[in-house]
Order: sequence, then C-alpha cells, then structure tokens
Amino acid sequence: MRRRLLELLGVATVIASVMVLLQVTTGSVRGQAPNMTAWGHPNLEGIWLDVYTTPFERPAEVGDREFATAEERTARDQARMGNQGRNERGDNGRRDVAGAYNAVYTSAKPAGPRTSLVVDPPNGRIPTLTSEAQRQNDLQREWRLMLLRNTETCQSSEQGCDGGEYGPPSPRRFDVTPFYNTGRMNRHDGPEDQSLGDRCMSGRTPDFNGFRRIVQGEDSIAMGYDTGQGQGFQRVIYLSGSHPPSQIRLRHGDSRGRWDGDTLVIETTNFSPKSPFRGSGENRRLVERYSRVDEDTLAYEITIEDPTVWTAPWTVRQELKRQSDEENRIYYEPRCHEGNYGLPALLIGRRMDEQAFAEGSGPNPFSLDTATCVGGLR
Amino acid sequence: MRNRFRGSTIFAVLAAATAGAVISVMVTGTASQGQEQVTRAPRTPDGRPNFDGVWQANNEAHWDLEAHEARSGMVMQQGVYPYEFGNVPAAPVVALGAAAGVPGSIGVVQGDGEIPYTPEAAAIKQENRENWIDRDPELKCYLPGIPRAMYMPYPFQITQGTDKIHMTFGFSNAARVIHLNEVTGPPDYTYMGHSVGRWEGDTLVVDVTEFNGKTWFDRAGNFHSTALRLTERFSPITADAIWYEVTITDPETFTDPWTIAMPLYRRLEPNATALDYPCIEFAEEFMYGHLRREQLVKRWEGETMIVEITRKVPPGDRLHEWYRR
Repeated sequence: MRRRLLELLGVATVIASVMVLLQVTTGSVRGQAPNMTAWGHPNLEGIWLDVYTTPFERPAEVGDREFATAEERTARDQARMGNQGRNERGDNGRRDVAGAYNAVYTSAKPAGPRTSLVVDPPNGRIPTLTSEAQRQNDLQREWRLMLLRNTETCQSSEQGCDGGEYGPPSPRRFDVTPFYNTGRMNRHDGPEDQSLGDRCMSGRTPDFNGFRRIVQGEDSIAMGYDTGQGQGFQRVIYLSGSHPPSQIRLRHGDSRGRWDGDTLVIETTNFSPKSPFRGSGENRRLVERYSRVDEDTLAYEITIEDPTVWTAPWTVRQELKRQSDEENRIYYEPRCHEGNYGLPALLIGRRMDEQAFAEGSGPNPFSLDTATCVGGLR
Repeated sequence: MRNRFRGSTIFAVLAAATAGAVISVMVTGTASQGQEQVTRAPRTPDGRPNFDGVWQANNEAHWDLEAHEARSGMVMQQGVYPYEFGNVPAAPVVALGAAAGVPGSIGVVQGDGEIPYTPEAAAIKQENRENWIDRDPELKCYLPGIPRAMYMPYPFQITQGTDKIHMTFGFSNAARVIHLNEVTGPPDYTYMGHSVGRWEGDTLVVDVTEFNGKTWFDRAGNFHSTALRLTERFSPITADAIWYEVTITDPETFTDPWTIAMPLYRRLEPNATALDYPCIEFAEEFMYGHLRREQLVKRWEGETMIVEITRKVPPGDRLHEWYRR
C-alpha cells in the first residue's frame, strides 16, 4: 500500500515537472528570427508546438462556446492527473504488461484555453459522416469484433468488446480483410494485419500533436514533424507549380502554397488511400493557413474536406508556440522502423501460439486478445 | 569552375541593379506544354548562392564509390568459369535480364581512387560486399545517412532558410537540417548526422558528426564507424549545378582522410517535385515475409528465402518469336 502511494506520488511529480517545462517554453524565447525572410515573406521559421492539450471535439453541453473558463481548465488538469490508467497494475501477467505503458512514458500537456480543436461547425463537432463512410466504419468495427469474440475481453464484456459478443472463434477468421486495413486487429497473419503504428507508418497529414520545424526558402517551405514516438515525417510545400497528375498518390499528399497577404495558404491533395485520416483517404483535400500572431505565436487553421466521408467541410484552429531553436529539442530523425522489434515479435509470437495450439500444448490463438491491450483498460 | 562562377558573381551584382533584368535572364529553360517554368534568382537577397530547389546526383556512386566495370547482375554467382569476371547473375535477379546489371563508373574517390581502409576494415568491407543483400541498410529502407543520401538515385529538395538549410530526400522521406547558427546537438548518435554549416565565400561548408556507425556509403559494402566525421563543401558551378565534395575522416576505419567529389544537378523540368519513395512498406515482404502464416514466397528455410523463379512467357513472346512479329 505504502509502495503504491509512493509510486503514485512519483507519477504525479513527473506530470508536474513536464507541465512546468512546457510552461517555461511558452514564455519568450531568445534568438528570434526577423519578421520577414530575405525573400520578403512573413517569417514563420522555427520549431513550433501546440503546448496545450485540448479535446478534439467539444462536449455537446458546452454548445457553441469556443473558450473554456479557468475552472474548467483546472478541472481538466485534475481529471487527467487523477486518471488511474496512468499507473495501472494488472492482477495477472498479461494485464500487468498491458498496463505498463503508463504516465512515465507519456507526456502530459496542461489544459488549453479552447473547449475543442474543432471550431467550425460552431458546435465544435465534426460533421455527420456520409452514409457510405458510416457503412465503412460499421464494416471495420464488425470485423475487429468478429476477431475478438472468443477472447477474455468479450467474455468479461470489457470496453474493447463494446458492441460485440462472446462466442466460439468465427469461421470467417481467416478470410481476406474486406477493407484496406490500417488499424490493429486480433489476427497477425502478416504485416497487413497490423496497425500503421506497428509498421512505423502512423505519421499522417494533418498532425495536431507533434513538434514541427518550419524552414522557408525562395520557392519551397520544409516542414519536419516530430510526432508519434519516432514516426515523424517531412513535408515540402512548393510555392510554385501545380499538383501532379491524379494517378500520383502520396502518404502526405502534394502541398502547394501561396501568400494571401501575410497568411501562408497551403492546399494539399493527391492523398494516398494507404494513409487515412479519420477514415478519409484519397479524396481528402486540406487548406491550411499559417499566420504570425506575435513573436512567439503562430495561428494555425485547417479546413478538411472529403465529400465521400463528411457531409460538410470542417475546421480546426490551434495556436502554436515557438520552442527554443538553440535547445533544438526536436527529433528530426524518425527511426521507428530501424528499431522495430515489435512487429516481427508480434508475428513470431503468433506463429509460436499457433504451433503450441497445433501440438495441443496451448490455447486457440483466437481466444487470446493481442489487439486491445486486454480489453482497452478502463 | 571558379572562373565561371566569378563571372556569374559579377553578373549577379550588375543584374541586381534592375530586378526586372534579373528575372528575364534567370529563366533557365524554355517552358514546355504551357507549364509554368520557375524563375529562380541565382542568389539570395543577402548575396548567397541560392540552392533552393529539387536536386539529384547523376552518376553511379550509389553502386560503388570506387571505379568499377559494368557487371551483369546486382547479385552474382560463379558460372562456367572460376574467374570472378566470368560470373553470371544469381537467382534473386536472373529473371530481370539486362535490367538486373550494374553500370560501370570511373569512380568518385579523389586522388588514387582507392578508399584507404585499415587492413581489418578492408576485410569487413569485403565481407559486406559478399553479403550485400543481408547487410546493406538500403535494402531494409533504413535511413541512408550522409553522404549516401546525397547521391542515391532519387531527387531531393533543398529549402534554404534564414539560418537553416533543410534537405528532404525522396528515399524513405529522410531529412537533414544544416544549422547555420549555434544549437545543441542531438541527445544520441544518429543515422543522418548532426550538420553544422557556414559560408566560406560562395561555398557552403558543412561539418557532420554524431553518426551511429550503422550506415553505408554505397551498395558495395563501403562502411564506417561511429568515429566518422565529414566535411562537405557545396560550391556553385552554375545556378543549376553544385560541385559537391566530401572529406571523410574515421581513424577507426581508414588510415587517412579521403575525399569524394561529384556534381549535383538541379532538376530543371517544369513542376519538378521530389516525390517520396515510401520504402518502409516496400521492404516488409523482404524483412518479415518468413513470419507470415501463409507465406508468399513458396519456400523459406528459417530466414533463408529460397527463391524459385517461375517466369511464365506469354504465348508469342518466347525468345525469337518477338522478332517475327
């Protein structure tokens, strides 16, 4: 009991120090770039970060109110620090390992002034899905639940099985997946059954959480994203030319920028279906706007549209704070793939489970949940 | 080279008097098919050579930095003769015919053209060469490192900022940032190195350190240790070509510093774009295929891929039938 209390205190200290660090860097930073680049464009160069955590969508009860009260922000901070999932100890080996990825490994940002990142529609909620997108979502959910049905997660009605039911392994478990999979599923026949994160390809555009370094040239702007534990990526925004032919499909799309007064406006199209954002693949079109608010703040706004997925375009707004260039705390060498022991280990583990099952010395692999970290910890 | 560039310096100074004149002379090619041709200043407004744009090496250095003759296969095996020059393409590439070969090169290593390995390192290089498929990090889509990224056969973007020069490589979406100002170095050794640059006249000089020793120089097994240090020199030849020189120092691997040199060329076609070569997924079958429940390659022995080549020739396309069409 005493040990557990000490551990909790330790975690709280880590969270507190991360917050202090972040708050320090929200202040003014030495070594500013001048307001204009040598080419006469507004200077957006530097390392930038949204230093706050903000709900992506607004809770319905907040209505159209864009900004939070001081009390609401304090309550959000306290709720996060009290989150028991931050130091989850399981009652058996599998659960214990599943809960081991706790607050020591994940940074926590303080609650921000906004009530949601989505600012348009005015209720701060992503517009309704089209019926086709809803059908795709249902198809994917049903498929993942089908693969979980013989597991402890469904037997004990854990969160990860919501909407599903417990039963014998499905006869469909070896079928070809009826959609292009990019998420974790409870089957490990090959790399295609793994999530893009497991395969070190989870970085996608748009990204709202990571650090980004902006470098501006005459005709191009480079943006290096540090996000997702070594799954960062690079974008080049061309200030001339046009989008390539439509048969060219790119994970981060093709970005063309122009200056609208002091605002950089970037249009991105030519996305690949292999790197979807919230279900939106090749029909995604992004319009991003960057402008300087003051020395250390960039206003960032992005309108996302895909008429095959959402019934209307929607917009996210963030304020990005300058981070110290001198301290250079950005990881611009994403090397998840170079150290990816996890993916082969998942596949090897499953082959061993299958062999043990075939020899009568282990359970049916489909009775084990190797997809949701044992139920999706509540 | 120097003289030519001095000429263009004088030209640039004169031209700066009238911006309109600059723009009219800057057009480096004729726009085709009505597409927009980028007009690019040969110099930045603060007087530096302007490297902003899409670039690519156009040589065989990515195969082997040293001089080498053309050969018939990327992977070779002994054929009828016991001589190395009589080798024939091996199974992994034999179905690709003449497209499976390696082009020859006079080499890019300066001086006597040979890399001055220590005797121990020379033996490792030879082993690397013999085990190319299993050892070359490129085949696994690992970050290519510097200088290799600069002369791989993919375009890369240079974005020349105020106090950073950012290079974005098509291969593996890799990048490097050259810091022209003072910053803290990385917290750990890196694949792509930590680059700190400065201008010496019109030449961009970049010192690169903090390497993790896991990258190669080419597909011939040329390698280095964590003691690697580079000094790169980017000197404009014209507005559209850079003379790129790298001095390589690594006392754990080489007896002396050595230098490679080559031109880098601007991609001049309208709408030139450094498209990504997203190879992580391209390498998955190669790296993890033996771990599938049902394997796509028909026979694996452990991690050894036994490639049985099934090459079905469509009716009418058999050897010699083609000539009779």
